[in-house]
Amino acid sequence: MRTLLILFGKELRSIFLSPIAYVVIALVMLLTGFSFKAALTILERTSSEGSLVLWTYTSYWFWLSFFPIFPLVTMRLFAEERKMGTMETLLTAPVRTSQVLVSKYAAAVVFYIIIWLPSVLYFYLFVGITGDVDVVPRGELLGSLLILFLSGLFYLAMGCFASALTSNQIVAGVMSFTLCLMHFLVGMFSLNLARNIPPEVAEMVTFIAPHVHFQRFTTGLIDSRPIAYYLSLAAFFLFLTHQVLEYRRWKS
Amino acid sequence: MITANKLTKRYVGRTAVDGISFEVGKGEVVGFLGPNGAGKTSTLRMLTGYMPPSSGSASVAGHDIFHDSLKARSKIGYMPENVPLYDDMRVKEYLHFVARLHALSGRKVRVRTGEVMELCRITDVRRKMISSLSKGYRQRVGLAAAMVHDPPLLILDEPTNGLDPHQIRQVRSLIRELGENHTILISTHILSEVEAACDRVIILDKGSIKAQATPQELVDQLRTAGTITLEVKAKPAVVEGALCAIPGVRKVNSRALSGGWSKTRVVADSKSDVRSDVYRRVVDHGWELRELVLCRASLEDAFVELTHVDHAG
Repeated sequence: MRTLLILFGKELRSIFLSPIAYVVIALVMLLTGFSFKAALTILERTSSEGSLVLWTYTSYWFWLSFFPIFPLVTMRLFAEERKMGTMETLLTAPVRTSQVLVSKYAAAVVFYIIIWLPSVLYFYLFVGITGDVDVVPRGELLGSLLILFLSGLFYLAMGCFASALTSNQIVAGVMSFTLCLMHFLVGMFSLNLARNIPPEVAEMVTFIAPHVHFQRFTTGLIDSRPIAYYLSLAAFFLFLTHQVLEYRRWKS
Repeated sequence: MITANKLTKRYVGRTAVDGISFEVGKGEVVGFLGPNGAGKTSTLRMLTGYMPPSSGSASVAGHDIFHDSLKARSKIGYMPENVPLYDDMRVKEYLHFVARLHALSGRKVRVRTGEVMELCRITDVRRKMISSLSKGYRQRVGLAAAMVHDPPLLILDEPTNGLDPHQIRQVRSLIRELGENHTILISTHILSEVEAACDRVIILDKGSIKAQATPQELVDQLRTAGTITLEVKAKPAVVEGALCAIPGVRKVNSRALSGGWSKTRVVADSKSDVRSDVYRRVVDHGWELRELVLCRASLEDAFVELTHVDHAG
């Protein structure tokens, strides 16, 4: 546990010492800002269903800011250490591979949570200025944050996996971006081609794709299926990552 | 301290280390010598638990490196090749991190860090970013990090690689100092390093051990114990004829210099010192003598002979 904390501290520190962290935070703040503005415009001009929270976390602006986060946060985790050779000092210290993995993953998750805090601030700023508390229903906000957290756990695990596969950060980044986007596009694909594919397949896709999960959770509907889905996928990819790291070490 | 038993490392299509067995006793300073690609780094990586052996086993301080890896690793201070360090940390911060990773705590971390910084003479750069350090300082920070948890065994992979002569001398004297109360295993392809710092040499080539001895023994084992050159005032052919007859002399080569002088190289057999015999012949013949030099076979010769027998013919 002590080892884990030491490693976690080192990871978190090195995340915040790299300029990437601030670029990502700025990028997400900017794009969710646009997303927030777009949500306000929609609510202003049309009498559409849904709250400010829902429109903010499901707009195109949102998705645009969402997927670059994962490669940017995770690509250096293992690739950099492998490139610099510090993996060797780390893994020849009395430290388990699993401790290294968990500490890196946990640091990425903590940073991911920090990335989203400013967007929550937008809502409270809006409430503060307009005095209209009903604009930001608590349930919908909690639901949105929960699905952000859950899907983040999965995508970050996938990013860790990509980073563990290579010593080149760019390759790791491109790989995790592609994996994340593919997962997202499965949903887009079914929406756009709904007429041409059998309904059973279309329905199955809605279980897989994040799009539908986001739509449910941002209305404040907490569905246990996506929770189990994302948690198990995250665990699976962490398991894969562990295997990759051990394989590299135990390769004969 | 280290016991290696038929340690083997196979990569795809290539055997890097081929069933080597050796022991390193407590308090010994042992040099692992071999040309590049001889399997030194692979062996050290197996000993430190970074890679598992393909077959064979080894133990460090009584702990098996595979089955009891964490315990074995805690006994080792390891400095990998090219000294990987975290560039975004400051020197002191890095040493603190390594010390805490090795389960040192609180006051002990600060005390040990201070001690090793003093020992490796890096106290003056303790607040600097590692990325801004020169190669020599990096090397010493790596060394400090390897011994911050006061391990009984230090494993250093090419500790003087890429340093300037002055820095090399500093690192060597540091290793000698440390050798007084640590067991040290150094890998290197620089011979003078082994001659300067080690009690024992293990010569490795193409994955197997070619020789194991003290640096002195190794030199003595050579076919040629040394070459004598002398300059006398006489005809080359005459000198050759006279010196050939000395027992223990294997080869005599003589050539004429200006003014009636000749320069002669005498190659003697191992373990026989023919200098006095040569001198006596010179006196017997009444030749004028202006030079008599013994060139001792260096470790370098031993090394070349042992690792490149095929080229030497």
